[in-house]
Amino acid sequence: MILEFLVSAIGLGALYALLTIGVALLFGVLGLMNFAYGEILMAAAFAMYLMRDQPWPLAVVVAVALGVGVAVVSEKLAFHPLRGADPVTLMIASFAVSLAIQSVARMSFLPRAQGVSPEPFLSQRISLAGAEVSVLDLLTLGLCGSALVAVAFLMGRTSLGIQLRAAAENFQMARNLGVKPDLVIPAAFVVVGVLAAISAVVLVARQGAVSAEMGLQPMLIGVVGAVLGGMTSLKGAALGGFLLGAATTLLEAVLPTDLIAFRDAVLFSALIVVLVVRPQGLLSGAKVRVS
Amino acid sequence: MVLQITDAYVQYGASVMAVQGCTLHVDEGELVSLIGQNGAGKSTLVKAVMGMVPLHRGSVTFDGAPVTHRSFSTVRNRISYVPEDRGVFASLSVGENLRLGGITRKDKRALAADIERELERFPVLAKYWSRGASLLSGGEQQQLAIARGLLLNPRLLLLDEPTLGLAPIIVDLIFDVVAQLRADGMTILLVEQNAVRSLEISDRSYVLQAPGRVLGSGTPAELGAVPAVVDYLGFSPADVEVSR
Repeated sequence: MILEFLVSAIGLGALYALLTIGVALLFGVLGLMNFAYGEILMAAAFAMYLMRDQPWPLAVVVAVALGVGVAVVSEKLAFHPLRGADPVTLMIASFAVSLAIQSVARMSFLPRAQGVSPEPFLSQRISLAGAEVSVLDLLTLGLCGSALVAVAFLMGRTSLGIQLRAAAENFQMARNLGVKPDLVIPAAFVVVGVLAAISAVVLVARQGAVSAEMGLQPMLIGVVGAVLGGMTSLKGAALGGFLLGAATTLLEAVLPTDLIAFRDAVLFSALIVVLVVRPQGLLSGAKVRVS
Repeated sequence: MVLQITDAYVQYGASVMAVQGCTLHVDEGELVSLIGQNGAGKSTLVKAVMGMVPLHRGSVTFDGAPVTHRSFSTVRNRISYVPEDRGVFASLSVGENLRLGGITRKDKRALAADIERELERFPVLAKYWSRGASLLSGGEQQQLAIARGLLLNPRLLLLDEPTLGLAPIIVDLIFDVVAQLRADGMTILLVEQNAVRSLEISDRSYVLQAPGRVLGSGTPAELGAVPAVVDYLGFSPADVEVSR
């Protein structure tokens, strides 16, 4: 029971962490609160629907490709011309991109929600250390955990990662040191596209459906988790997302059945309390000391 | 001439003029200091060189070529700017901050040797190589910022208030390092409020008075002959013992 709960909580925490890193990365590098993040996710989910009769690994590859493609194209068409614009302008542009992609999807491919039957193996349960664990929960944990490890490696061990972290913290100074905007900004969108696509793969497997509006809730989770952890810290954002996911699972486990419908109300009330105590987020306090 | 600023005006908003008609130059291998009190426009002028604030009027040339919006990316690769707030990346380790300093360099082997050189110059950075930069003291951060700036192998080093708020022993260390860099032939523009120490080690100095006007320029002896400069500083630069 405990192991099952842990797999479920850590898995959902890892999924939410992917969502929050995607939000915080673009906010740091570009000053962009990207409300089109959900639509990048939706596009990748749509690929899962299109490829529903194909082998699952192939569908995942296509979903990642489409997620990255939509992210990069949105950068080129909408955000590149607006580089240097104030955050409000960028945010409004991201609303426009979000609504445009959603409208195109609704008018063409997804006028209503479409079912995507989960792979049979995902509905199985396997015995693990004496506990019955859902394969779907293990997949969530495995995919999202692997993605987090990959992101940690990229950010911590590669030159591009160091440049991305520096740019996310202080773009002007990073630029003064020779970090190229034309490298780090598209790279950030590629990372965001991959993260959104992996999140989409997991969400489609969990929900069994794809719709034009499906990106809204994950995007909100990404924003809330990033605010909780600290918008200017990628580690903080990941922590915020992880805690949000783990707390969601915990509340589902401990709340009485008739109160589960109010899970989000309880969760976000707690979030308000946290933000009253630490308005800058959990990990945004790592500022440079001046003296 | 490495840097030439001619009749520069910088304006914040509709009415606040931060720099008014500044003209200065820095020759090859020179250490030139920009002296003045808070709000004199020193940092604003340096930011204008880096393209961080637009010139309202006037021009900047670097190595004889006008610095325009288009050419800033090229200029940035040849000028190391160590800002007043040090610009250290708190979320990166000391080592990662240093690696960023040489991010544009292709000669990775020479870069590794240069990092070793900076670690010898600032041993505290070797000691805290893996430590997060946010955990360093102000003096340690300043050493990191200067070392990182030097790893670009810059044509021009811009130091903006490098001793601001630091303990006297660190102030001595920073001025010693700057003097040594000058002796090694580096071209430096030093922005400082510590007029005496700056005059001691500089080839020439410019004295700025708010709002961004040059009161006088030259060697300490030449500045000492300008009554407005003597009045402004409260002492005669001619009395400063030059240590070069």
